[in-house]
Amino acid sequence: MVDSLGIVDAHVHIDPNSRFYTPTPGFIDLLRQMDSLRVQYALCTDHHSLYAGAAAGLAELRKVFEISQGRIYYLGVYDPRKSHECLKAMKSALSWPGFAGIKIHPSFHRIPAEAPSYRAMWEFAAEHGLAVLTHSWSISTHNPDQRYSTPKRFERYIEEFKNVRTVLAHAGGRGNGRAEIIRLLNTYENVYTDIAGDIYCLGLIESLVRSTSSHKILFGSDFPWLDPRSNLARVFLEDVSANVKEKILRSNALYVYQLDKEKV
Amino acid sequence: MLNYCGKDHRFSFRLELSMTAKWVRERIERYREAVNRLELFDCSLWLGYPEGFPLARELQLDELKKEMENHNIKGGLVSHWLGNTLSAQAGNKVLLARSPMFKAHMYSIWTGLPLYPTDAPPLPGMGTPDKCMRGVRIFPSSHNFILEDWVIGSLCEWLLLHNLPLFVWHTEVTWTSLHRLALRYPNLIIILETQTKKILYHTRVLFALMRECPNIYIETSNFVGSGYIEHTVHEFGAQRLIFGSFLPVNDPFVAIGMIIDSEIHENDKKLIASGNLKRIIREVAI
Repeated sequence: MVDSLGIVDAHVHIDPNSRFYTPTPGFIDLLRQMDSLRVQYALCTDHHSLYAGAAAGLAELRKVFEISQGRIYYLGVYDPRKSHECLKAMKSALSWPGFAGIKIHPSFHRIPAEAPSYRAMWEFAAEHGLAVLTHSWSISTHNPDQRYSTPKRFERYIEEFKNVRTVLAHAGGRGNGRAEIIRLLNTYENVYTDIAGDIYCLGLIESLVRSTSSHKILFGSDFPWLDPRSNLARVFLEDVSANVKEKILRSNALYVYQLDKEKV
Repeated sequence: MLNYCGKDHRFSFRLELSMTAKWVRERIERYREAVNRLELFDCSLWLGYPEGFPLARELQLDELKKEMENHNIKGGLVSHWLGNTLSAQAGNKVLLARSPMFKAHMYSIWTGLPLYPTDAPPLPGMGTPDKCMRGVRIFPSSHNFILEDWVIGSLCEWLLLHNLPLFVWHTEVTWTSLHRLALRYPNLIIILETQTKKILYHTRVLFALMRECPNIYIETSNFVGSGYIEHTVHEFGAQRLIFGSFLPVNDPFVAIGMIIDSEIHENDKKLIASGNLKRIIREVAI
């Protein structure tokens, strides 16, 4: 059982992905770990949807939300190669409990973030007041597909759709993407970032807080790719104020994804 | 009660903040107490320019000591990037020069090469080890040799003679060659380091290797897959995990958090945080 006030993990996935081994990939594992770490809510995208689009996973994710008693919210994956199918599935989910936004992953789908095929998704998000979570990273020699998700590629849509709360994930990665993210965070009111993933740079939280407004930063883990414990202690232990930590760990995600809206 | 809509959300959170800051402060205190209990001893402290990590900054020795204090790391083993990027000798020379300024409980890891053909000093394998040396790291891929007995065997024999552990990044070796070497030298302690790329994609092989080779230990700075600590402790025992921070590239609180919040016995946490490495280096004969 968790406190009524607790952490929001704004970036998780569920189910096995055979690219890597983990003993604990399922939503029951996630829930157990959320209890252990006193994480109240999570924002989830399932691996199946990342491969096949929102239509493949939304119904299951709704069940997960219900079984979790309203703790594991979910996002619909928009694959620009299956635009109509994804939007149709998400339109159905608009009235479902726990549906909290849209996830895009230009690197995974190998479509550059500025491509015209994303326009329908941005229009849909704007029309329905949905937040958009997107993978973002730096140019990487290890993974050339990261070039599709460098932060500046999102700018044209961010600028055009100023009422869409947009979370550029992973703080831009571990290279030049960081500076681009900071610029976008400081330029556009509707841009946020999360610290999910192995962005384990020394002093990351302090650096982000110094560089931008603390209401722009969300805690995320990237479970089950990574263990939430790798990112959690550093938020509590780094040298920033308790109030800032509270925003990163909870309040910012509540606002961006409009969680707790029913209770407000 | 609260209004999450519109641009004024930063102000509308004030009421909730006044209620919630208490639980944040309590968690901060809990984490601080937990860190203090661990007496951290770190096998992955680095001097020199961290090649390949554009956001990381080179730390001078005094800065490294300061960061250790900031993260409550009581001691550990220091390496130098030049040992990888330029030459084994260059890294070892800097460590030789800096080690008199180490604080108590700080030691060095030298970079090694095959003992034949004979390279210029200073290198491990030539005479008595430096008094500060507590381990040797090799970079087979970067330094263009292979991890085979007929190439690296004489260095392994020298390490065994002095009970020195062998350190190696997983990115520097092939899994089959590491498996072969670990079986060939069952008394050689091999500390497999989880840098400098994700070891996540190799953990099926890694766990199979650990099952086969009890002399393989895992450094923890990038051992961050979900449930890995519990799985390893359950399958192989806590003695197989060695705390490493990869400072200054990584935030030590990453690897520290993995230990603090793990669902294992408190004694096992202490073994991982310091006990295992301290035990290994106590046995070093120099």
